[in-house]
Amino acid sequence: MKKSIYFSLVLLGLLATGCKKGYPVDEDGLLITTRSDCYVSSFEILGADYQTVRSKAAVVDTTAQTVTVEVLFGTDLKNLYPQFTLVTDAKLDPKIPGKVDFSDLSNPKKWTVISGNRKVRKTYTVNLSVQKIN
Amino acid sequence: MKNKYILYVLGLFVLVFTGCKEKEYETPTSPSGLQNDLIKRSLGPSIVGMDIEFAYAMALLPEKGKLASATVTASIAGATGTYMDNKFYTTTSGGLDVGTVVGTPSVNSGNTTTVTYYADISAATLRYFYRVPEEARGKEVTFTFSVTSTNGETNSYKSGPHPIRRMDIKKNLIVTDPTACYLSIADMAVYDAAFAAANPSKIDLVYLYRAITGVTFNHALVAPTASVEYRPGITLPAGLTNKTKLIKAWDIRDQQLVNTTGLATSVFVDDIDLEQRNFTDAPDFAINTRAESGVWVETADGKYRAYIYVNSVVNTATSKQMTIGIKRLTIK
Repeated sequence: MKKSIYFSLVLLGLLATGCKKGYPVDEDGLLITTRSDCYVSSFEILGADYQTVRSKAAVVDTTAQTVTVEVLFGTDLKNLYPQFTLVTDAKLDPKIPGKVDFSDLSNPKKWTVISGNRKVRKTYTVNLSVQKIN
Repeated sequence: MKNKYILYVLGLFVLVFTGCKEKEYETPTSPSGLQNDLIKRSLGPSIVGMDIEFAYAMALLPEKGKLASATVTASIAGATGTYMDNKFYTTTSGGLDVGTVVGTPSVNSGNTTTVTYYADISAATLRYFYRVPEEARGKEVTFTFSVTSTNGETNSYKSGPHPIRRMDIKKNLIVTDPTACYLSIADMAVYDAAFAAANPSKIDLVYLYRAITGVTFNHALVAPTASVEYRPGITLPAGLTNKTKLIKAWDIRDQQLVNTTGLATSVFVDDIDLEQRNFTDAPDFAINTRAESGVWVETADGKYRAYIYVNSVVNTATSKQMTIGIKRLTIK
């Protein structure tokens, strides 16, 4: 009788721990998956009032790895909030914790997209221009 | 064991058949003595020059006596305009408040405001409007509402402390391009070019409207130091040098600055919002300011911070203007 109880307990212990599967996570605590896709799917940019400052849709070129966006005349370039939409499981480096200064137009900002499996990295250049008075 | 079980079952039956017995409705008995209660009707930060509104309810059984007087004592005397309404209000099916006079118009004496009831009033709710005085700025105000009845009873209700904000408020300023387009945050006033020329240090912002092909310019508030491209066609009076900082805002429809009744909003800009605003790297221009948008402002000397709310804009062939309201805090 006692033997069967011990046996049952051991079995339960095995059941509880034996099938535990470890999911790999990266340094940010994000799940590392098998996806190798690595691109920006869309781009938005907001002003200090959290309203879009785009004068037209941003153009994302996944081959050239560029984002080209024109912002409205009179946009405060020092206080902008870029928003990237990425392919599933990908992440952005560096992170964007708040506003970004785009005022140095001669030095476009760059962000790197990292794939879900964390093995592919593609650096995108954001070419920002300001709407001109005709 | 068997007996115990039977007793237990019987007990359970008793509980089941008595526990959910519905009591017959009894008309509540009015509490004896003079009763009172209070609600604060106004919302948002209390600001000098604005009213804090209360509704003070008083009642006693008619056979016990009648209401004699209602008095409010404020810890700091209210400004001119403080009063207690001598009417109680009922609401019509159309939603309109209809007042019924129950006493003499209120009398202010020092810190107190009193309404003396007419002879036959047993219950009423009176509204009290405390106009916040300058002396109360940055302090706290408490109120004691008290009622007396003809049988000599008294009762009272304390409210507060209510903190009074340090900020100022000014509503319904109209800036017009080009006749009255110079705005002073220090004065919370709009001036013309002649005044601006005579008092250049007072001018913090310039209003303009431009319809420019190819860009969205429209209504704008710019500092006198703003680049010429942000104030096209404007020749500033000499001496205007204030580099005012501006941050555009959207969806901050301050309830105390909104002047249209149809716009439901429960947003309030408070002292702390102005104190904690970060103006580092803020520009000196705000292009395309729309109705119901706003602008956070810091004056060039850092003395004032303000929130300007745009109530409405007009851009017809003959008129280019904005109606604005300002909340302003003295920082140093």
